[in-house]
Amino acid sequence: MSQQVLWEVVKGNNAFLVKRNGLTLSTDPFNNTGVQTYGNTGFISQNAVGVVPTSGKTNQINNINLVARKSTKFQQVDRKSKNTQSVYASTLAVKHGVHTASRVIRKRFGTSRLGLQKAALRKLVNLNRSNAVRRRNEVAAAKAQKK
Amino acid sequence: MTSVPLVSVFSADDSTKVTAKHIPLPAVFQTPIRPDIVSFVHTNIAKNRRQAHAVNPQAGMQHSAESWGTGRAVARIPRVSGSGTHRSGQAAFGNQCRKGRMSLPIKVWRRWHRRVNIKQKRHAAASAVAATGIVPLVLARGHRISQVPQIPLVVEDKIESYEKTTDALNFLKRFGAFEDVQKVVSTKVVRAGISKQRGKKYRVRKGPLVVYFNENAKLLKAFRNVPGVEVVNVTRLNLLQLAPGGQLGRFVIWTQSAFAHLDKLFGTYRYASVLKDGYQLLRPLLTNPDLARIINSNQVQEKVQPAKTTTVLHEVQKKNPLRNTKAMDRLNPYARKQRAAAIAAIKANTKGTKKIKKNKALKKASRAAFNKVSAALNDATNAAVQEEQDIKVKYFSVQKGAAQAE
Repeated sequence: MSQQVLWEVVKGNNAFLVKRNGLTLSTDPFNNTGVQTYGNTGFISQNAVGVVPTSGKTNQINNINLVARKSTKFQQVDRKSKNTQSVYASTLAVKHGVHTASRVIRKRFGTSRLGLQKAALRKLVNLNRSNAVRRRNEVAAAKAQKK
Repeated sequence: MTSVPLVSVFSADDSTKVTAKHIPLPAVFQTPIRPDIVSFVHTNIAKNRRQAHAVNPQAGMQHSAESWGTGRAVARIPRVSGSGTHRSGQAAFGNQCRKGRMSLPIKVWRRWHRRVNIKQKRHAAASAVAATGIVPLVLARGHRISQVPQIPLVVEDKIESYEKTTDALNFLKRFGAFEDVQKVVSTKVVRAGISKQRGKKYRVRKGPLVVYFNENAKLLKAFRNVPGVEVVNVTRLNLLQLAPGGQLGRFVIWTQSAFAHLDKLFGTYRYASVLKDGYQLLRPLLTNPDLARIINSNQVQEKVQPAKTTTVLHEVQKKNPLRNTKAMDRLNPYARKQRAAAIAAIKANTKGTKKIKKNKALKKASRAAFNKVSAALNDATNAAVQEEQDIKVKYFSVQKGAAQAE
């Protein structure tokens, strides 16, 4: 379904839309800037990538997941894929550092949507940094406990 | 659409098993998405469930109130007759008055229902059905479909024979629809306002819509008690359920026979509908609305002029003619002559005067004089400082001597 047509349906009202303090924001997982605009709204596009912090306890060092929007001809889950799949996205867990993740983002957006690419990379970096801080604190706490 | 999209039918017991691999999508799912039609039809159809109500026609009017007229230093509003109570002499009847009747009291014969053209209703329904097959729209409506194996979700007819709610629940869990049900349960909220005292205590979200075909299906009872889930027969698809609130993209679970029945119901682009007499599906204004694809298509790119590689803002770097003589000459060719004339004039003015040559001897002499003066100054300063110190020493020694003497 064309992104333009979907935008016309969805721009006025959608589940991710948050209007507060005169700002039009979005909680869309595929939106890396948080502001709802046509280009940013990833869930209506075919090739968006969302950088999402994972919720709950995971064994990942980084609590980041990459959610890649996918377009299939018939909207089915691809069971053969190793990644967690849903009808609208495949999820890549960012486990050991951000290199694979940044590769995925760069490949997705390539030469065309550099703004989106930058936004995704920026978010990845920021989440990674906050994770580093968290891990540092955890390690320090563990050390303190040992003592 | 030259290639018809295909859809799989899932086994009711196992969400990984597919009973029918590739069924063509009914043509309804290709209808243009028309939020304008859906919104219009929805706002009107939503009014059809209203029950007439009205204000008591006598409310506020059960007085023999009369205006006191002018000359009594009160407003001319009708006032309650009689005496012996606070109420007497108070204003009555007007909408602005306390205890007065409302302005334009609601009558039972208010036009509660709206009729909508059948064609519009059908187009809206078709559009709403189409929207249930588009993942972003279902997401935008707020359904939780991350675990659902396919949109549109088509399941074999076995679920129509479910009698127990546990079967229904397990089915929903198997197909990832339970997340949506959980959303409904966790967001159940006591309604704000008086309606909670009028039988509408809770505000509950909408979950999945299960669409079946066979009239004897028992699944209605099985799914009845699951919060948020609605069950409806294909032949009685309701826009208020397909697009609740006028918002397209309900999460729908179809049974196989219901899914197959859609072509007969709405017709295809080749044949008009069988069951809706003479109804033909709406055709889109643009068969290919993807702007990016159109622009990048061969047909367009062939005709388009080659892209400009450089955008030239200025031809040449701007030079300031007031400071750059060549730039000035370019603008004003006479400037050259003006400049030459100015130089000549200066020369003419300074013709008689000699140039002052630097005199080394003079320089030396002046330097010597300066040194002499500065030396003298230094000596004087030093002498003064010394004098000061002497006085100081003398003074303190006197003091000391005095102290010692004591």
